[in-house]
Amino acid sequence: MKRLLILLLLTAIPAFAKEVVPFIDDDYAKALAQAKKKNVPIFVDAWAPW
Amino acid sequence: MRAFVLTDSSLARHAGQFVWLAVDIDDAANSAFLVKFPVTGTPTLMVIDPRTETVALRYVGSASVPQLEQLFRDGADLVRGKQLSVADEALNRADRLQNANQTAEAIKACEEAISAAPKNWTRFGRAAETLIASLRHSRNYEGCASRAVELYPRVAGTASGAGVADRGLSCALRLADEQKSRADLTAALTKAVREEAENPKNGLIDGDRAALYLSLIGERRRARDEAGMRSLREELAALLEQRAAAAQTPAQRASYDFYRARVYRDLGQAEKSIPMLEQTERDFPTDYVPPLWLSRAYSAMHKYDEALAASDRALARVSGGARTMVLDLRSDLYTARGDKAMAAQTLRDAIAFSESLPPGQHDQPLIDSLKKKLEKM
Repeated sequence: MKRLLILLLLTAIPAFAKEVVPFIDDDYAKALAQAKKKNVPIFVDAWAPW
Repeated sequence: MRAFVLTDSSLARHAGQFVWLAVDIDDAANSAFLVKFPVTGTPTLMVIDPRTETVALRYVGSASVPQLEQLFRDGADLVRGKQLSVADEALNRADRLQNANQTAEAIKACEEAISAAPKNWTRFGRAAETLIASLRHSRNYEGCASRAVELYPRVAGTASGAGVADRGLSCALRLADEQKSRADLTAALTKAVREEAENPKNGLIDGDRAALYLSLIGERRRARDEAGMRSLREELAALLEQRAAAAQTPAQRASYDFYRARVYRDLGQAEKSIPMLEQTERDFPTDYVPPLWLSRAYSAMHKYDEALAASDRALARVSGGARTMVLDLRSDLYTARGDKAMAAQTLRDAIAFSESLPPGQHDQPLIDSLKKKLEKM
């Protein structure tokens, strides 16, 4: 966990950047359904707001 | 990375290649996802095959735009099962083994990939980074530092080169003083980290560049060179101020907060970070991060009432696993103020809260460390 905390600290930014690709927020089921329908992989950004 | 890389307009052309999912690891609603796909650090970037719901590619750490585009290509190839070269196949196997936490086998696969690498192989940098990270993970610090020295010339001047040098230096600094190779490995990797820190063309995002300075400061700390540490901190502070002044958005400016707050605290000038953190809190009034850093800055200034007031605001806004961390830091504030009873009670609150978190966010090693801390009070 110490390592995770350090990594989180080193990547700390508030959660408000505007991405240029259409991210689905916090809804894996929705992403999975869309990916199966479109037949494309899911790209995941697992992040923390601090 | 979210402020600079994921907002880069050049990524828009990749929009149709994936379904894009952002997962806030602090959000309790994501606990089922985190059980299925464990995350050990942020950011963690993954490509998931929707047919099998398995991770085809995993990358821990921030990435520059070129690195990210390479990950897109690699991830898509892995899911498609494209006909691959020997080196590609070996690196993909290394990824799979690393995902399965089979580090020793992942190291062998990385070495196979590097041995079989064709000339101008676009994935060489990632193979080198994966090897060094795996060696460090396996605690083979001498092997990690030695291979970093050997591989660095082949990746110098790139974001991967910076990663290899930086991780290699962290390994060298873990070697015991009496270990013969320590001095030479440390000197070579310090020089490499310095080169990358000063190279404006290697594509590093500023956060990663600042992290290189922190590694250089760590090296001077190990050498017990106070003047050297101060000089590097002043250099880093000047760089960060320059970059923050050139930021185009509040989010970009705020992305420098942590490094500026930390470097000013370490210079004994925590008061310099107060105005920028207050500005960020005004810009993002629902975010708990700015008041959290304000509480740390006030604590460094021994202004504990102001620190606790900022901590109150952070607590009112934070949820999920990060709440444990805010409570832990709040306990430290009470300890610094000499209020042992409140420090202990706050730590008990942190433990109780952490134990109540759902699977995927439940962190037993953290809970154990908090309990040990409480016992020592």
